Amino acid sequence: MTMRSWISLYALLIRTSIRSRMQYKFNFLLGTLLAALIQISEFLMVAIVLYKFGAIQGWSMHEIGYLFAVMTLSKTIYRMFADEVHHLEKYLVNGELDQLLTRPMPVLLALLPQKFRLMPGEILQGGFLLWWSLDGMMADGQISWVAVPYTLLIIGTGAVILFSIGLATATCGFWMTRITVLQNLTEDAARSAAQYPLTLYPKWMISLLLFAIPVGLVNYVPALYILRGELGGWILPLLAVAALFCLLLSVRFWQYGITKYQSTGS
Amino acid sequence: MIEVSNIRKEFRTPVVKQGRFSGLRTLFTREYRLKEAVRGISFQVEEGEFVGYIGPNGAGKSTTIKMLTGILHPTSGHVSIGGLSPHKARREVVRNLGVVFGQRSQLWWDLPVIDSFDILARMYGVRETEKVKRMRQFAELLDLESFWATPVRKLSLGQRMRADLAAAMLHDPDVLFLDEPTIGLDVNAKRNIRQFLKRLNTEFGKTILLTTHDMDDIEQLCRRVMVINDGQLSYDGTVRSLRDTIGLPTVITVTYRGAFHIPEGYRISKEASEPELPIRLNIIAVEDHTVTIEVNRKEIHTLDILNLLAQWGELADVDMQDPDFEDVIHKVY
Repeated sequence: MTMRSWISLYALLIRTSIRSRMQYKFNFLLGTLLAALIQISEFLMVAIVLYKFGAIQGWSMHEIGYLFAVMTLSKTIYRMFADEVHHLEKYLVNGELDQLLTRPMPVLLALLPQKFRLMPGEILQGGFLLWWSLDGMMADGQISWVAVPYTLLIIGTGAVILFSIGLATATCGFWMTRITVLQNLTEDAARSAAQYPLTLYPKWMISLLLFAIPVGLVNYVPALYILRGELGGWILPLLAVAALFCLLLSVRFWQYGITKYQSTGS
Repeated sequence: MIEVSNIRKEFRTPVVKQGRFSGLRTLFTREYRLKEAVRGISFQVEEGEFVGYIGPNGAGKSTTIKMLTGILHPTSGHVSIGGLSPHKARREVVRNLGVVFGQRSQLWWDLPVIDSFDILARMYGVRETEKVKRMRQFAELLDLESFWATPVRKLSLGQRMRADLAAAMLHDPDVLFLDEPTIGLDVNAKRNIRQFLKRLNTEFGKTILLTTHDMDDIEQLCRRVMVINDGQLSYDGTVRSLRDTIGLPTVITVTYRGAFHIPEGYRISKEASEPELPIRLNIIAVEDHTVTIEVNRKEIHTLDILNLLAQWGELADVDMQDPDFEDVIHKVY
């Protein structure tokens, strides 16, 4: 199969997934609406933090808003396309992965479009926060318009990194079956930590968030360059390489993990 | 077509601790219990064969099928389907397989039946003309037309199974794996599905491997049957010789006109009669004018038995019952 037919198949499966969930319109709409409301309340919390403390350890209100927005948007892209990776446990516990394994396509490509999640709340929240912080910093003359394409780029690489972390964590499920707690640690806790400047944390934790669970590469490291001109221009291509490396590593791990799949009795 | 050599599958489950902090201790334990679900199975299936694969619950049937379809990787041993390993070249192998799990549907649960076919056609790269042709064929053979537009979740079990079967055949695979395709179906639906499977095998030459608990499936469809018990093949051969090997007794009931006399030596018991008698038989019951005996027809010719029985009195009626296939299987398990 050519790349193009893979993509068109993938698009078809995503359309199918949306159509499936549209069968229950009320549930679908209410769910989307509530998720958006939750996002707004989370945003209010951030707003309070920013307003109350203003700058934290030399990071301005706008800079912290930027870190937060980039993380939110990267996560949103990851979850929109790959929510089922995060919910792999369900497939392992019920043995639902069986069906996907009998299809003539890579398992991941069959798994991802099982559920395409629309996340308007997150996009709005993250987009607004990003616009607010960029606008503020441009007004101060801290950054120029170049920051905009750079930011879009790192949101993309960030999504790839978060996906890789999610995939590697989910893969552990082939041995452990239940993975929710592990996910709380590597996905949720790590990501929440990186919503604030890493300088807040002790050294060992910074290393952890940069090298072991590299959530710091999503927003903190690129922000050092894009917002403050630290490090150097080489950091952006390096980040792209790092993201691809994470992806490669996690996909390899996933492929190995699948050979340990245990299915369920029937 | 299908070659399986010495496959084994072990499942490792952590030992669950008892007592205080059991959950936490289980998490950090290094103790595992090994369960060998399949212990060294080998067989070959030629093109065009229809093979039944039977065994009690938990014997390893599904595990074997899942290894053949590439879902599970064997702990050791090799599988080859059409010359390719379903584990190393899963996508290529699966392209030429039809798989139906009776317990689970592979159709899109919330969408109309016909949509699943459209998606599958795209997935397997089935050309539009081919698709239309085959769907018309299946619709006729399996009577699908009446529920094309119904969402899969609203189908009855019989309808769903028919739809699933048609979906598995949409890409015209050469090999078909069926895991309990008739489970929970009524007589009509079973017959419908059996007829379809029979045609697939005889007219289209598909190679079919089927697991089931319904012995009628085996009797009506398969020429060859494999029995798995506790992870190992305990029988592999024709259905007919399976019946013979087990040697279950045939039950003969004779009714005599008037008086009859059973000679010395033949006793009414569960044990066969004494060996020095010319014919070994076992009298189960004597009532009024009827005598019921059990005899193994592999050892003795039927006519000899009838001759012997005729010597005891004047025969009015003879009724013979071959062993039920269910009983044969019961004996194998």
